[in-house]
Amino acid sequence: MIPFEMLEPKSLRDATALLDADDPTIRPLGGGTALMLMMKAGVFQPSRLVSLRSVEPRYSTITVNSDGSFNIGALAPLASLEHSADIHKHLPVITRTMQVLSNVRVRNVATIGGCLAHGDPHMDLPPVLISLGAKVRVIGPDSERTIPVADLLTGYYETQLAKNELIAELIIPPQNGKRSVYLKCTTRAAHDWPALGVAVSVAGNRDGLSEAHVVISAATERAQRVEQASALLVGPPANDKLFKDAGEAAASAVELIGDSQGSVPYKRQLVRVFVERALRQAIDGGITQ
Amino acid sequence: MSTANKTIHFTLNGRPVTAEVAPHHTLVELLQNQFNLNGARESCAQGLCGCCTVLVDGKSVSGCLYLASFADGTAVDTIEGVADGVALDPVQEAFIEAGAFQCGFCTSGFILMTKQLLDAHPAPDDDQIRHYLAGNLCRCATYPEIIRAVKLAATKRKTVTA
Amino acid sequence: MNAITPTPGGQVGRSIPRLEATSKVTGRVEYVHNLRLPGMLSVKLVRSTVAHGRIKSIDVEEALKVPGVHRIVTSEDVLKVIPVPYYGPAFHDQPILAIGKVHFVGEPVAAVLASDPHVAEQAARLVVVDYEELPAVFDEVEALKSKTVVHEQLKPAGTFPDLKHLHGVRDTNLALDFQLVHGDPAKAFAEADHVFEHTFRTQQVLHVPLEPYVSVAETDGNTMTIHTASQSPSFVRLEIARLLGWVENRVRVRVPFLGGGFGGKLYIKLEALVAALSLITMRPVKLALTMEEQFYTLTKHASTFRIKSAVSKDGRVTGRECEVWWNGGAYADIGPRITQKSGFTAPGPYDIENVKIDSYALYTNLPPAGALRGFGIPQLVWAYESHTDLIARELKIDPVAFRRKNLLRDGREQATGTVVRDMGADACLERAAELMNWDAPFDRGSGTIKRGRAIAVGFKASISPTTSVAVVNVAADGSCTLFCGTVDMGQGSDTAMAQLVAEVLNIPAETVRVVHSDTDVTPYDMATLGSRSTFHMGHAVRLAAEDARAKLAALATEVGVAPGSNVPIRELFVRKYKMQAGTIVGTGSYIPDYTSPHQGTGQSANVTPFWMVGATGIELEVDTETGHVKITKMINVADVGRAINPKIVESQLSGAAIMQLGFTTTEKMEFEGGQCTNASFADYKIPGFADLPPTMTNVVVDANQHNGPFGAKGVGESGTFGVSPAYANAIEDAVGVRITTLPITPEKVYRAMCAARNEPLED
Repeated sequence: MIPFEMLEPKSLRDATALLDADDPTIRPLGGGTALMLMMKAGVFQPSRLVSLRSVEPRYSTITVNSDGSFNIGALAPLASLEHSADIHKHLPVITRTMQVLSNVRVRNVATIGGCLAHGDPHMDLPPVLISLGAKVRVIGPDSERTIPVADLLTGYYETQLAKNELIAELIIPPQNGKRSVYLKCTTRAAHDWPALGVAVSVAGNRDGLSEAHVVISAATERAQRVEQASALLVGPPANDKLFKDAGEAAASAVELIGDSQGSVPYKRQLVRVFVERALRQAIDGGITQ
Repeated sequence: MSTANKTIHFTLNGRPVTAEVAPHHTLVELLQNQFNLNGARESCAQGLCGCCTVLVDGKSVSGCLYLASFADGTAVDTIEGVADGVALDPVQEAFIEAGAFQCGFCTSGFILMTKQLLDAHPAPDDDQIRHYLAGNLCRCATYPEIIRAVKLAATKRKTVTA
Repeated sequence: MNAITPTPGGQVGRSIPRLEATSKVTGRVEYVHNLRLPGMLSVKLVRSTVAHGRIKSIDVEEALKVPGVHRIVTSEDVLKVIPVPYYGPAFHDQPILAIGKVHFVGEPVAAVLASDPHVAEQAARLVVVDYEELPAVFDEVEALKSKTVVHEQLKPAGTFPDLKHLHGVRDTNLALDFQLVHGDPAKAFAEADHVFEHTFRTQQVLHVPLEPYVSVAETDGNTMTIHTASQSPSFVRLEIARLLGWVENRVRVRVPFLGGGFGGKLYIKLEALVAALSLITMRPVKLALTMEEQFYTLTKHASTFRIKSAVSKDGRVTGRECEVWWNGGAYADIGPRITQKSGFTAPGPYDIENVKIDSYALYTNLPPAGALRGFGIPQLVWAYESHTDLIARELKIDPVAFRRKNLLRDGREQATGTVVRDMGADACLERAAELMNWDAPFDRGSGTIKRGRAIAVGFKASISPTTSVAVVNVAADGSCTLFCGTVDMGQGSDTAMAQLVAEVLNIPAETVRVVHSDTDVTPYDMATLGSRSTFHMGHAVRLAAEDARAKLAALATEVGVAPGSNVPIRELFVRKYKMQAGTIVGTGSYIPDYTSPHQGTGQSANVTPFWMVGATGIELEVDTETGHVKITKMINVADVGRAINPKIVESQLSGAAIMQLGFTTTEKMEFEGGQCTNASFADYKIPGFADLPPTMTNVVVDANQHNGPFGAKGVGESGTFGVSPAYANAIEDAVGVRITTLPITPEKVYRAMCAARNEPLED
C-alpha cells in the first residue's frame, strides 16, 4: 500500500466535511475490510482516508422501538447485529444471514453502513434488507435524506450516495409477523461469495399471501426486487405451483451476469430453483419476523 | 497532505506498549517489524485464510486488513501470549494431541479462533465447529484433525474449570 | 538422564506428536518468512503483461523518483554478475530476469529494491515496459503441432542421471517425447472384441502453500548464504554455484520449516534472483511473494489424455494405447521427468500385456508447470480410472469386479517390463470395497436428490536413481543429533526420521534432535519430493544410525564393556576421554538399484525401487435441479508399507485427498490471453471446512515393503490418486452423465444432465 493521509473526525457531520464530492481518492473508512482489499490490490490508492471510528458512539448502537422497528447506527459492526438479542427476536432472518456472511473476523470489523455503501452486489445483507423494506438515513455536510435500500443501490458497485455523503443509520420497519428467508447459493467452494442470493419476505399462509417481496442479488449487477415475481404471489392460493411460477417469473425478469460462478443460462436455472425453494421454506418452515 | 507517523499506545499480550506507525501500515506488519512477533502471518492478504488472526479487545480480526493505527488504545493479543510461560493453553495441548496441524503456518489463527469459538460455545458440535472455523484455511487440509482438537480442547477446558 | 535407556516397544510404529509441535502451536516456529536481516532490501517484481513478446524498452525513470528506492535491476545488470543466467533441473531455459523476450504473463522482467517494501511496491507500479507482442500458444495439444514456437533454442541441463538423454526437438514445443511399447498393441487391437476410446482433460491448478515462496540472500562477495523456503536445498546449492561459477562450498543454503510445499518449492524458484540481487547490491535481499504472485510462479500440468483399450468378450483388457500431452508452460522445470516417470504408469495398475504409450512434455506460453503432489499421477489416474468405469459400465460388469479381473498383481510385468513386487493394488481395492460395503444394497436417492458411489485405484513409481546421505552424531552424554537434508514442510519428516534413528539406537524418538537443512552442515539429499524421503532418506538415516551403533559397540569393546551390558553411553565416553568429551559420528548413504528405461521402448528390468498405491471410494448425492454434488462418504486406502508414525500417515492420506478434492471440484486457474484472471483466494477456491465430507476414513493396508527401511515406503501423494475419478464415476452412477474435464462444477454436471435429456443449455 502507498502512504496516505488519515483523519479521524469526532463527529459524523465533521466527517462529511472532510470528504470531497469531486475527489474519488478521498474516502470514508468504517471497518475498512472492503477498502483494505482494494488498497492492498492497488486498485484504490487513496490520498486521504477519513476514519469514522471516533465519531459519536450513537452511530454504533442498535435500538429497537416499541413498534418493533429498528434504528441501527451505520458504524455498528456486523457482529453486533449477529449477537443482538433484539434482532434475534424481531428479525431472525438477519441473525441467520449473519451465519453465512463472510467470516467471524470480517463480521467483527465490518460495519453495516460500510456494507451498504460499498455497493457490492455479492453482499448477503442488502437483499435481506430490501425484502424487509429497510431504509437508510444519509447525511451530507449540510443535507440529510432517507432512501430505501432498494433505491440506494443503483448499479455494480454504485450507489446513490454523493462522495461526501455518509450513511448515518439503517431503519428497519416493523415486520408484523411476515416470514422471511435468505438463501445463499454458492457454485465454487461451499464457503464463498454467493453466485446467487435470494431473499423473500411474505405475509399470509398457504391460503394466500397478502404481501410478498422477492429480491435477487449477486447474479445481478445490484440487489433488486423482482416485481414480476412479487406481484404474482399476492392473492392466489400459495401452493407449490405458484412458487414454481414465481421462480419462472423471476428467472425471465432479471438481467443476469455470467462470470466464473456460472453462465447466464445456468444462473437463470438457479434463480428458478432458489426462488421456488426460498418461498417454500418461507411459507412452511420460514421464520416469523 | 500529512502522511505523518503517529504514536500509538496499546496493550500487547498484557503489557502496555508504544509504537510509531504510518497510516498505511497494517497490524500484522507492526507486530512483526516492531515487536518481533511472527506468529500472525500474512498469507492470502484478503482476510480469507486467517493466518494473520489476532485479537483486538478480545475480538478476532484479520491483522493483514487491520490498520496498525486502529490498535491505538486497544488490547491486542497474539498467539505468543496464549501460553502462560512454558505452560501451554488447553487449546494448544489439544492441537498437539490431535495432530491438528502439518506445516503450522495457519495454526496460530486456528488456535486463536478455537479459543474464541469455545468462549462462545463451550461444547460445540461438528456443525458449530465447521461453521465457526469456515473462515480459516489450511492448505495441508488438516480439517478433520482440527475438529477433533476443538472437541478435545472443550473437554480439557471443562476439566480445568471443574 | 540416560539417553540410551531401552524403551518398551519399538520406535517405529509409534504415533508420537511431531517433534516441533510446541513451537508450531505457540507461533514461534522458524520460517524464512520471519527472517529480517540488518540492512536488508525488499524486492518487488515487475512482471510481464504479455504472454509472448519481445521487450522493446524498460523505462524506470518515474519509478526511480519514488523516495526510498534503492535500485531497479533488469537482466542487463544480472548478466554482469552471472554471464549465463539460465537455470532449471531439466533444461537451462529459465532466465533470472527476462532477457530480450518474455514467455508468459507474470514472468519477472525487473526487480525494484528498497528498504521499505511499500516503497518497492509503489515504484514497481511505475516501471513501464514496452513489448512487441508475438503469437502465443496455450493449449498443450495445439502446442505439439503449432508453428508458434515458445523457445528458439533448447538447452538441456544434463544435471540428473535420469534426464541425461533429454535434448528436446528444435523448432517445436516438444521438450520430451517419451515412448513405451510392451507386447504387440497393434495385434491386440486387431483381435479385440471391444475397443473403447476416450479423452480426458485436466486444468491448470497450483500449490498455493499458505507460506508463499520466499528467499533471502546475503553475500560478502566470496561466500553466499541463501535462506530459502525450498524443498531441495542441495539442488539450490548446486545450481547457484553453477550459475556463479563458484565451487559448492562457497554457497550455503539454509532451510528452516516450510509453510507447505506440495512440490512447488522445488529446484530454483526465487533463489537465483535473490543471489543475483545480493551480488549486485552487496546487501541482504529478501523476496517474499504475495499470494497473487504464486499464480505466476508454478502450476500443476494441465493435461490431455487419449486412452484406448482393447477388451475381450469376458472383460479382460488385452491392449491399451495411451497418448498424453503435458502442458509444461513456458519453462520445462521438472516437466520432462513427470512426462517420463509418470508417463510409464499411464495404463494404470492393470495387467495389460500389450501397451503403447506416447507422453509429450510441451512448452506453451503459460506459467511454468512442475511437480504437484502426485507428480503427474493424479492426471493419469483421472483418465484411466474414468475410462475403466466407462468400460465396465458398457460391458455391464460391476466396476469393482472388472478391476479385480484386470488388476496388476505381484509377480506380473508392469508396462515397463519390471516385475512388480509389494504393490498392494489388490489389497487396496479389496479394503476400499469392504469399507464402502460394496456388496450391500445401495440407497439411490429419491426426488431431486440422486445418489451414486464409486471406487478408483491409482499407482505410482518412485523417483530413481536418487541419492540421500545422513549423519547421526552421538554426543558424550549419549544425546543424539540427526543431520539430514530432508525438508519438513508439514509432512512430519523430522519426526519420522527421528523415529528411525531411535529404533536403531533403542532410545525414545522424542530425544533425537533433527538439524534442518544447512548445506554447510547437512549432507547431500536429492530433494524432498515424490514421496521419496521415507524410503531413500529413511535408508540413509537407518544406515547412519547403524554406523553410529557399530561405533558405539566398538567404543564399548575398547573401554572393556561387554556386549549387551547396559552401561550408559556417557560412561563409555568418560572411560575413554576421562571426561564428558568426544563424539561418535555415524554416516549413511543410500542410492537404490535402478535400470534406466530403454529409449524408444521404455522397457526396464528395474524401473523403480517401490510402488505406491492409493484407492478412494466416494458416495455422493447430486441435486438434479442445480447439479450441486455433496459427498456423503469418502474413504481413502493406501499401501504405504509399514507406517512409521500411523497418525501422521493418516493425516497425510486425509490431507492429500482433500487437496485433490479441491483440484476435482473447484480449483482452476482461469486464463484470458495467457493472463490468469483469478489469481487470489477470493476467486480461486481451495477447500475449506465447508467442503469437507461429513465422514472420512483414511486407512493403510497391512503391508511390508521388503526393501524399505523397517518395511516402510512413501505416503505423501497416495491419498490424491483415486479422488477425481471416484468423484466422476460416482456422479455417473448417480445421474448417468459423464464428465471428462476437471474441475467438476455444479454447472458442468447440470449441463451434462440437460444435454443427456436432449434439452441442452445454451452457452
